[in-house]
Amino acid sequence: MKINDVVCPFCGCLCDDLEITVEHNRIVAVDNGCTLANAKFMSKEQLASPIRRTGEGWENISYDEAIQYTVDMLLDADRPLLYGWSGTHGEAQCIGVHVSELVGGIIDSTTSVCHGPSILAIQEVGHPGCTLGRVKNRADVVIYWGCNPLEAHPRHMSRYTTYADGYFLQNAFRERKVIVVDVRETETARVADEFIRIKEGGDYAVLSALRAIVRGKGDVVPESVAGVSRSQLERIVTLCKDAKFGAIFFGLGLTMTRGKYKNVRNAIELVDELSRHTKFTITPMRGHWNVYGSNEVFTWMTGYPYAIDFCRGIAFYNPGETSAIDLLARKECDACLIIGSDPGAHFPRGCVEHLAEIPTVVIDPVPTMTTALADVQIPVAVSGIDADGTAYRMDGVPIRVRKVIEPTLPNDREVLKSIHAKMKEAKGQ
Amino acid sequence: MTELLIRNACVIDPLNDICGEVMDIAVRDGKIVESVGSGAEVIDAGGSLTMPGGIDSHTHICGTKVNFGRYMSPEDMRAGRTARRGHMHSTSGYSVPTTYGTSYRYSAMGYTTALEGAMAPLEARHTHEEFTHTPLQDMMANTLFDGNWPIMQAIHDGDIRRAAAIVGWTLSAVKGFAIKLTNPGGTEAWGWGKDVASIRDPVPHFEVTPAEIIRAMIEANEMLNLPHSVHLHCNCLGKPGNHQCTLETFDLVPNANNKRQSLYATHVQFHSYGGSSWRDICSRSEEICRAINSKPQIVIDMGQVMFGKTTTMTADGPMEFNLYRLYHNKWSNHDVELETGSGIIPVYYSRKNLVNSIMWSIGLELALLTDNPWQCILSTDNPNGAPFVKYPEIMALLMSKRYRNEIFGTVHPDTEHNVPLAAIDRELTWNDIAIMTRGAPAKALGIEDLGKGHLGEGADADIAIYPININETDPATSAEEVIRAFGQTDYTIKRGRVVCRQGTCMVDGKNTTIWVDPHISENYSMDHDPEFAKNFDRYYTVRMSNYPVQEEYIRRNLCIETEAQL
Amino acid sequence: MKFILNTGRTVTQGRHVEHKYHQGYFEETSSCFIHPLDLMDLDLEDGEHVEVVSEWGSVVLRAVSCEDLRKGMIFVPLGPFANHIIPPRTHSTGMPDFKNITVELARTERERLTQWELMEKIGGKRYENQ
Repeated sequence: MKINDVVCPFCGCLCDDLEITVEHNRIVAVDNGCTLANAKFMSKEQLASPIRRTGEGWENISYDEAIQYTVDMLLDADRPLLYGWSGTHGEAQCIGVHVSELVGGIIDSTTSVCHGPSILAIQEVGHPGCTLGRVKNRADVVIYWGCNPLEAHPRHMSRYTTYADGYFLQNAFRERKVIVVDVRETETARVADEFIRIKEGGDYAVLSALRAIVRGKGDVVPESVAGVSRSQLERIVTLCKDAKFGAIFFGLGLTMTRGKYKNVRNAIELVDELSRHTKFTITPMRGHWNVYGSNEVFTWMTGYPYAIDFCRGIAFYNPGETSAIDLLARKECDACLIIGSDPGAHFPRGCVEHLAEIPTVVIDPVPTMTTALADVQIPVAVSGIDADGTAYRMDGVPIRVRKVIEPTLPNDREVLKSIHAKMKEAKGQ
Repeated sequence: MTELLIRNACVIDPLNDICGEVMDIAVRDGKIVESVGSGAEVIDAGGSLTMPGGIDSHTHICGTKVNFGRYMSPEDMRAGRTARRGHMHSTSGYSVPTTYGTSYRYSAMGYTTALEGAMAPLEARHTHEEFTHTPLQDMMANTLFDGNWPIMQAIHDGDIRRAAAIVGWTLSAVKGFAIKLTNPGGTEAWGWGKDVASIRDPVPHFEVTPAEIIRAMIEANEMLNLPHSVHLHCNCLGKPGNHQCTLETFDLVPNANNKRQSLYATHVQFHSYGGSSWRDICSRSEEICRAINSKPQIVIDMGQVMFGKTTTMTADGPMEFNLYRLYHNKWSNHDVELETGSGIIPVYYSRKNLVNSIMWSIGLELALLTDNPWQCILSTDNPNGAPFVKYPEIMALLMSKRYRNEIFGTVHPDTEHNVPLAAIDRELTWNDIAIMTRGAPAKALGIEDLGKGHLGEGADADIAIYPININETDPATSAEEVIRAFGQTDYTIKRGRVVCRQGTCMVDGKNTTIWVDPHISENYSMDHDPEFAKNFDRYYTVRMSNYPVQEEYIRRNLCIETEAQL
Repeated sequence: MKFILNTGRTVTQGRHVEHKYHQGYFEETSSCFIHPLDLMDLDLEDGEHVEVVSEWGSVVLRAVSCEDLRKGMIFVPLGPFANHIIPPRTHSTGMPDFKNITVELARTERERLTQWELMEKIGGKRYENQ
């Protein structure tokens, strides 16, 4: 059986045109997907049952035992951290907020190690953006800054920019100018019309130089800025100002390097300057398929997009203090529930060490690096494959991911619901 | 079966012509009934003012741009925080509260139904998700059609029936309630960083004018037999001299429906400015109200501005950018492919600022100069003019000349030379306020037959009991009393259940989403239109099959099925 | 020799996010991409092992010649190897310095640890039931 228009639960592109072939409740073929989509849909590595760490190794336990362990762990904790969320659907994230509120815990998503700094910048200066279709149909200048879509978002260029058909472009591929700004000459840089190679840590200076030139103050810009010649910067500004519709996409090259949210703020303010001359927009390249959903859900439920601390009853937000990395590095939290992410692989060792010391439960379909640090892992159905639910694309468009095969395991929201119910019961509510 | 009897209620129910009568209200299983048995739960209202639950017919509380208002504003979130307590979740936010914050605060003020003012169809799922988490109000969504490509194409081709068919398909698909036009044509022009300058200014490339869009949508609305009329945010919002644009727009409106208005013009305060620049801006409320008084086919809401901090948010992207260039605070924009735009900036309305003082005055003038309160609904265009928690103060300003004068004395001293407010003596009555917040919005939205906005037999038992005795309180001299009473009910009852008692919400609650499903003949069904499907899959970034909002998002819902003349 | 370390996603790393115990994940995330001229300066052949030392610790990786990089910069794909030496501080932003970190490189004869050995070194326990 072929299923059309399936949504891919891998990256923030949320491509929704995959064709999946299912035989005997197993996926046997994936069409239209990128290599990341294929790997995800064809994965057969799920755990079959919850596991618990013993002295020597691991043993299988029942769902009831695993859920009870989680409930007891959270109720016993003084400073529980509920982390991850980007790899699950919105309905599960909602229950996650309720659970955090109930135990006075901290809830944070992988945002804090991807576009958290972008959010801090947006909270300072706002965000002139648009949906991806606006770019696809109109943009004649596209800038990728500090990101490498051909590796991290493989279909971004073919669905939304360079190679996509656009209503207002006769021949999109020829008419669109693509500019790539990076410290490495990546695959993406090689297909660009213009590659700006900057020195590590030079983003802020280059953005400032571009802003100065846009404002007509190019004379203050030195001959070379972070390895980029003034003449190239001037050429870029002319391209941007002459554009009918320009779109900047930026990645972790801005958020993870020196300057962090100030880099992003500078990029947004460049768009602000350019908006006085022509149409310009800017969009963060969100990584996990539903990381933006975690920000949306947390925001309407608590008022803040990530790093929310309920320890005083109210929702309290202070990234740098209430974000997962800082809490773990300070060894402050005393229990951790991890869902839909793998901090064991993606957090600095100094944080991971603390995870190994405290009670930790992982809700995830497959064994990950975090499994090694956990006390219990509860396998679940995979959202977008054998569980459905809501996801938010990198531009904020909500899409329902589908269930293409029948699940054999409970899904995230079912597991969280029973954890929540048992906790309420224990608290006499 | 659950029964409730409210004794000694001093009822104002304008749709049933009840004005201050002390009576009992019987409720069974969520509906108003003639009588109940002796086992019914009894609430003694003790002669307190009792009205149908409040209805906000234009407010921005759920969806993509509202949430972005929260997301970008931790300072606003910090300005209104409550901890988890009983059935109440923690809340954050002052001008853009979290969904629970919004729901609890509306409920405490006796509001039980609200219309989200602007939903982009592509992002409808988000609005519905937030509806689910707004548990104490029944919700509807205005659906944006101001820059819809296939609709503009159909209008350009002179095919209004096709335009109507696309509207109908979209409303069903996204579980929307009504046609919303926000700066029609302007949001598409904003895709190139431009705007339209008047209702005769053609939209780039599509070559249709705002006037053509408005007229076509009014016609389409009636073809689809929708409960509500076209809901219009006029072009040129916030620009000095825009009253001309507003008056020209009003002149476009035929009297096309004998049950309700043919056009609902929203937040008209922002569209009633004279002058040619910020230096000589003045009120043109008198001309606007003269037009309204002579055109029963038009209903407006005020869009009142109140002093203090708030957040502006609208689908009108170009307007927000202009406003940003005045305020230089922070600016978000979010264009939606093939459909519409949006923008957000935080603002501070200062009583020491002449323009802000004039805006404050104009909103009140609109309510006071519109002869028929059924034609002017109380609103702040929440949160654009002010957060909805300011409604009680607005009620007091409308009911008391003395209070108005007192505040007028504190605004910018030049205000009086630019507005007629000081010369207006009218004081609205309790009944006028009930009309402007219950009867009129129910009628204008076309939901009175669903049992909204009144307390007749069979109506939904959505009831607000305010701690005030209207026979002992003269609102003209008791502004403080009025503000206190309207700020917090003794009881807010939803579907026959006490949901809020003196500000404390008593239940988890569950909202109902009201939406429309026009039945359209096969010939006009977009599901079987190859041209529509081809362009959809070519120019949208979401496949047509993934676009409709699934049943999962509207678990409890009320679908209004209409027979379209198509 | 001093280098600037950057980390980031690669398509191979991405393909293996749900297959972290596979050899492919190990090979990719324990790679240290480096400019060929820098390899020469370090007296290293492509594929030989290199010890990367930051202020936070050290890890043994396999050097992979790569001309995308500027001389003086190395790139290690996102994963447990890179994170073994990334400092956990965020300058009050919530975000560690995953990019633009100063490190020392030196040729080594030592073997790489596996991703599981790295976890066990800090108190974890590998899951082996494949």
